[in-house]
Amino acid sequence: MNVQLTRRGFLRGAGGALAGTAIAAMGFGGAEEAFAATARAFKLEAATETRNTCPYCSVSCGMLIYSRGDVSKGEQADIFHVEGDADNPVNRGTLCPKGSGVLDMIKSKQRVTEPLYRKPGSDQWETVSWDFAMERIARLMKDDRDANFIERNADGTTVNRWLSTGFLAGCATSNETGWLTWKSVRGLGLIQVDNQARI
Amino acid sequence: MPRAGSFSAAPEPMSIGEVAAPPFAILPDPSRVFATRARRFATLAENGNNLAPYLLFLSALCDAQASILSDLPSIVLPPPEEREQSSRHGLPQLGRAAMAEDPVALTTFDALLKAIDSSDMPAATQEAIMRLRKADKAARGALLDNALAEEVDPEKIADTVLAAAALQVHMTRMAAGLDVNTLAKVSNSACPACGGAPVSSAVVGREGMVNTRFCTCALCATEWHVVRVICLNCENERGLVFNSIEGGNPNVKAETCPKCLSYTKILYQNKDNSLDPIADDVGSLALDLLLTSEGKSRFSLNPFLIGY
Repeated sequence: MNVQLTRRGFLRGAGGALAGTAIAAMGFGGAEEAFAATARAFKLEAATETRNTCPYCSVSCGMLIYSRGDVSKGEQADIFHVEGDADNPVNRGTLCPKGSGVLDMIKSKQRVTEPLYRKPGSDQWETVSWDFAMERIARLMKDDRDANFIERNADGTTVNRWLSTGFLAGCATSNETGWLTWKSVRGLGLIQVDNQARI
Repeated sequence: MPRAGSFSAAPEPMSIGEVAAPPFAILPDPSRVFATRARRFATLAENGNNLAPYLLFLSALCDAQASILSDLPSIVLPPPEEREQSSRHGLPQLGRAAMAEDPVALTTFDALLKAIDSSDMPAATQEAIMRLRKADKAARGALLDNALAEEVDPEKIADTVLAAAALQVHMTRMAAGLDVNTLAKVSNSACPACGGAPVSSAVVGREGMVNTRFCTCALCATEWHVVRVICLNCENERGLVFNSIEGGNPNVKAETCPKCLSYTKILYQNKDNSLDPIADDVGSLALDLLLTSEGKSRFSLNPFLIGY
């Protein structure tokens, strides 16, 4: 009887039972059993390696982010190391000093993790909800656009431009996000858009 | 014109850190592969765990593999046109069917059986060696056939381990004779030289390829580049878990796929250059025991770990 020595646990018969091991067959069955007995006391440790894009500039270097903790088992992942992604064609494993230090930004206590609002005339930042922030931004954009939108220039040519507001978009975004940014922002008549698509 | 050696004010790109430009494949050097592996098995045995007798046995087996290299007849490779044609069509350059009929493979098997000093080895190994020395050519050829087809008869595991060890010598010599520039990708998990399965993969620290990952063929020891963080079995890239033993060697991990539930060992040679693709796969058997008890299955192939 030949059993396919497949790449998924060879020598397991149809029932999944172990038919024998090389270690036992060579006469080391005792050592194998003793080893298996001690190994049962060992515990598995889990880490992940995740590809991501550097958040800083428009070169958008590939990063490999190492974290501890098995998220699939409900553990909290904790990032402990970030390095350049050697497989990424943009940076081929390299990172600039700022990108190399991104772990400090990720772990920084000063990092802003929720929207903050400083009321006109106030000297205090207060925590607000995302809904509040989005509505407030939309309101102010609408008011400013209604007040300053230019439909025609002095010669009477249709220009549909809105010069009094600018838009700062991200650099580490996908093509799709870039396309959506362009569509929504240009649709409003905004001229000053910065995608950091330069250097 | 600036003088030679003088500083120029012209802007020039400056590389920061190690720029990785890995070659697609690296061919093995038979004179180093087996001797290095024998030493690594011996070092691993010094750690004194219960598996040490088996590791010492494998160290002696690798020593025997290394010792026969100088006296073997020359290898006969397929003609270059044929090999290049194979690569152009996404096939490995060394056909396994032809290899099973290669008289040099059988001579290598005979030489290995003769070279193993089995006086200190367990009775089961001694019996297998005696049996194979007495067996006729056809029987030994059939064993080589099985090992090449990655099949094993559960009644003949010991014989298959020895046949695979002989094939490692023969195929490593064959692979070493290929033209590395003509090799082309077969798949992430198939050797471009002989079509075999990987034994493990390693993140290397070698100059010009720092932090890139190479798979090593279980039989011919050719290394081929595969991007990191991808399941070698199902090509899933999401949610891969890198398992190691708590308090054990952090540089030997299992890259475990949550989708197909298989794993392949990954050795961080960039952290520890002494890790050997085959020896440290056996040396980290505890990982296999724990992962298989969790329902994960081993994807890679190691003739010295048949049954796992």
